[in-house]
Amino acid sequence: MQVPETLPLFLLTAILVPLLAGLVLLFGSNFAPFVRRIIGFFGFGWPFLMAMMFYCIYEPPVFGDYRFELKRPTGLESIGIYLHLGLNGISLPLFMLAGVVGFAAGLYAMYSKAERPHLYLALLLFMQGGLMGTFASVDVFFFYFFHEFALIPTFIMIGIWGGTARRKAAIEMTIYLTFGALLSLLGLIALYAQTGAGSFSFPELRDYIAAKPLEEIAQKNIFALLLFGFGILVSLFPFHSWAPKGYAVAPTGAAMLHAGVLKKFGLYGLLQIAAPLLPAGLSHWFPWMVWLALGNILIIGLITIAQRDIKMMLGYSSVMHMGYAFLGIATFSAVGVGGALLMMVAHGLSISLLFMLSTCIYHRSHTFDMHRMGGLATKAPVLCAFFVAGIMASIGLPGFGNFWGEFTIFAALAEMETTRWIVIPAALGIIISAIYGLRAVASIFFGRPGDAFAGHFKTTDIRDLRNYERFPAAILVVALVTMGLFPRILSDHADRELAKMYPSESILPAIDTTAYNKVTAKPEKEDAHK
Amino acid sequence: MTVTQSLLAALLTPLVSAAWICFFLRRKGVLASCVSVATAAAICVFSFMALQGSQGQTVAFAWDWLNLGNFNVRAGFLFDGNAATMLSMVVVVGFLIHLFSLGYMKGDKARARFFGGLSIFMFSMIGIVLADNLIMIYVFWELVGFSSYMLIGHYFETEEARAASKKAFIVNRIGDVGFLVGIVFAYWHFGTTDLAELEALVSVNKELISGSIAAFLMCGFIGKSAQFPLHIWLPDAMAGPTPVSALIHAATMVAAGIYFLIRIVFLFPVEVLDLLAYLGTAVALYAGLCAYGQNDIKKILAYSTLSQLGYMTAAFGLGQPGIAFFHLITHAFFKALLFLGAGSVIHGCHHEQDIFRMGGLLKRMPVTSITFFIGLLALCGIYGLSGFYSKDAILIAGEMNDQWVFILLTLGAFLTAGYMGRLFWVAFLGAPKSESALQAQESPFIMLLPLLLLAGLSIAGGFTDFWPEHLGGLIKENLDSLHHAQGYGHAHHVVLIAGSAAWVVGLVGSFFFYGAGAGEDRLERKFGPVYNFLKSKLWFDEIYDSYVAKVQQRLAGLLSFLDIFLIKGLFVCGSAAMIGLVGICARSLHVGSIHGYVYWFLAGLILFWVAAIGLF
Repeated sequence: MQVPETLPLFLLTAILVPLLAGLVLLFGSNFAPFVRRIIGFFGFGWPFLMAMMFYCIYEPPVFGDYRFELKRPTGLESIGIYLHLGLNGISLPLFMLAGVVGFAAGLYAMYSKAERPHLYLALLLFMQGGLMGTFASVDVFFFYFFHEFALIPTFIMIGIWGGTARRKAAIEMTIYLTFGALLSLLGLIALYAQTGAGSFSFPELRDYIAAKPLEEIAQKNIFALLLFGFGILVSLFPFHSWAPKGYAVAPTGAAMLHAGVLKKFGLYGLLQIAAPLLPAGLSHWFPWMVWLALGNILIIGLITIAQRDIKMMLGYSSVMHMGYAFLGIATFSAVGVGGALLMMVAHGLSISLLFMLSTCIYHRSHTFDMHRMGGLATKAPVLCAFFVAGIMASIGLPGFGNFWGEFTIFAALAEMETTRWIVIPAALGIIISAIYGLRAVASIFFGRPGDAFAGHFKTTDIRDLRNYERFPAAILVVALVTMGLFPRILSDHADRELAKMYPSESILPAIDTTAYNKVTAKPEKEDAHK
Repeated sequence: MTVTQSLLAALLTPLVSAAWICFFLRRKGVLASCVSVATAAAICVFSFMALQGSQGQTVAFAWDWLNLGNFNVRAGFLFDGNAATMLSMVVVVGFLIHLFSLGYMKGDKARARFFGGLSIFMFSMIGIVLADNLIMIYVFWELVGFSSYMLIGHYFETEEARAASKKAFIVNRIGDVGFLVGIVFAYWHFGTTDLAELEALVSVNKELISGSIAAFLMCGFIGKSAQFPLHIWLPDAMAGPTPVSALIHAATMVAAGIYFLIRIVFLFPVEVLDLLAYLGTAVALYAGLCAYGQNDIKKILAYSTLSQLGYMTAAFGLGQPGIAFFHLITHAFFKALLFLGAGSVIHGCHHEQDIFRMGGLLKRMPVTSITFFIGLLALCGIYGLSGFYSKDAILIAGEMNDQWVFILLTLGAFLTAGYMGRLFWVAFLGAPKSESALQAQESPFIMLLPLLLLAGLSIAGGFTDFWPEHLGGLIKENLDSLHHAQGYGHAHHVVLIAGSAAWVVGLVGSFFFYGAGAGEDRLERKFGPVYNFLKSKLWFDEIYDSYVAKVQQRLAGLLSFLDIFLIKGLFVCGSAAMIGLVGICARSLHVGSIHGYVYWFLAGLILFWVAAIGLF
């Protein structure tokens, strides 16, 4: 099918419409709430609509790697930078994720009781524009640019609307993430310089490297920069400390978009750029990736169990689940990377759902301390149902998308004799997540009312989920269940793309389990030298 | 309709019903219960249409679920003789329990949630029964775990249900981890997880059988069927409504573990089978003993379920999967009957569950009492009732293969008769011990009807000859081979005598020991230490609890502290502080006072001079 000329322009509108809506709202301090919501609805609804439309008309590209390609000069052609947009089987699921989560977050944010709501919505819309751009970019420069573009509003939003100790968290998160972004930028530039392709475009870089592979030492070093740079952005153990606190204080909209979508930038970078272009680098750093990812799963998992604060618990759980995605990418096979991709999408949906619901719970309990809650299900059964759905999704119950991600990653790990043992410690994570997930449900919703509610239950009427909370939650749950029942709607397109990028036979070395036992204990130092 | 369509309809109708109830009938309890019961009836119809259509032929059907690289997951049905037998049992018992629930749950505030949960459960259970590959079994396996969680937590306001639902799910998850690992290993070991293909592969090449994979897969069974050491969740699961206990925690879900083993019987090497035989025997004895320490009518039945599951496991381990399956089916009938009877009693006694506070129910609830007694006799294996045939077969298999297993299982049969006798004599005979027992009333007809029907099945369920055609292929086959095995005649006589002695001594002994309608436990009064020992259940709960509190929680706390102190405090803040320190030092050079600059100038000058004359 010939793509009509105008279609790629619609891809551009998915980025521009939220930005424009944000700009309008920026100067809209006098707008009536109604007008504000209309603009916001349009700004978030349009990318969502576009994402759905592009999915429906997507067909695997016949020539080249991307559909709906749009290439515009930017004035930087001399160094090979174009505004190059397009979608393929790997970016499409993430593009949809950004559309869906953005829409849900936007709907919820429109009714939030934040001060200066026009500014709040405007910043969220800027984030949304950046997110759509990140996953629609074919050009590495813009891929990076849009990410930073979406990152900055996050910091501002935490600084203005965050919870207690927001300033400290905002600064810590800013410095940490900027450092990570800087490392990955260095890596990307080094990659650009080393290949000598004179282009920032994914497919061109790939073709260039396929023709003339990089030297092994260069691959190793560049991969390290990318791994730890992106790793910081994705909260790879032990570079995770920005995440739980940052998410705990972030305003709901920002937490949803960041934890749900923006964080996937790093993983996307790893699976789209670092792993396929630098296979020797991956195989060198493979043991590191495995040990650190196991640190994410087991150590952070246990830490999650110890949390009493619901948002900290969710923040840590999000860190923990990133470990699976890292393991999936580390296997360097279409199965593992495909699993990581499914995991990224499903986790994005479930964690943003849970962050949103935890705010809903807070509005009813006025505390984040789970031990002080209890018995909320009698008053808010719908909230309870959604929360249980979110938790069940996040702990990988079949029927939700997350299950396919985890399961496929386990399958990929078991494929090779040498990495088979990793399945066993990694699978222990599903017990750990069941423990903290069900404990949270039990202590918030079941049992007798805790002291946070004891008074309220009698005096004020604690209401069940309102419509403006129910609707975004329903969008996310429907997306999760759809993915869980029909994983092929995403995996088939991805599979076709991954088959091109990843070999069917593995290249990974065996891990000597004794030599690396100390890795998890002191990885911080190693990073500082890079 | 073709067979496949009927099966799909049987599988998906309850899902649709659950979704409908969840989204639209949340506040309409009556309508929701009607929808759910109608669904259960529809499943029966669809299942029997499938049964009729298949004519005993195996029907297989699959479509792609997920393809990534060389990893392919399919979803499909393998509707063979075993699946047909299991499906028939599940839908019939399921329907009767749905019917019973109409009466039992009348007046419950959250009826819609309850019946929605039952529908989800039927969906997941039928999924397990029909699934044609390990991955699909795992999917539905987890889903039954979820529906069990949801239904145990039905009375979530109570502390008991809150803890029990969580415990059931987590303990099952522990087993499922092993199951999952087994599946992914099996996938690459055999190149498939399709049951039919696996069987074909293994039958060609016996070398392919792997003990470790079988052991991993067995973990799933241990969790779901509540075998040692993951048995602790089942007694606690009695916190759910009684129909749930009957359906999920006695008749179907816990037995799904055995069914799963039967589905993959060809993957088991002899060593793992032996392990299972001893495991099952140990559980049968252990649970039988624990039942003596319980006063709660449902808990006694729960331990009885554990013990009977042990019998099934032992039979499977003895290499007689068909006989295990036979006991599964008959057990489903009489145990569902017993649980529903207990439900009727609890309903009649205004939620009194302590047997020593009942008494005299025979007069007040005659139908319930008599049907309960029939179930009891079937469970004890009285000659002519369904339980006799299956238990007899297990004991014969034991006698012929392993004397120790036989002796211990016979002892288990004696224990079974003893604790069941204790329950019946104390709760149903004598005089009422409490106000609630005094005012007990016979349950409404809607609850008695399932009891009567199940009593019929408990009596006649053991006559495999009268089963519908095409059902119970493996069972009949195994029974046949057992009957024609060498030494059968001798074993049969031994078992007939030993088995009969076991139940006679058990029932009569408990009558004289405890006394009809006793108000207190004589064992507790006379032999306190023994009773306390039995009540302690070998302290498994305490051991696990202290592991969680002392080890896991402390480790989590320690790691959490290290995370904040070491990683965040020392590394992150430390490096930030280092940079800050450099800043402070640099800033201190610019104090803005002329004195300061003079001193620095002097210091610089000296440094320069020292360098210039080459002191370093």
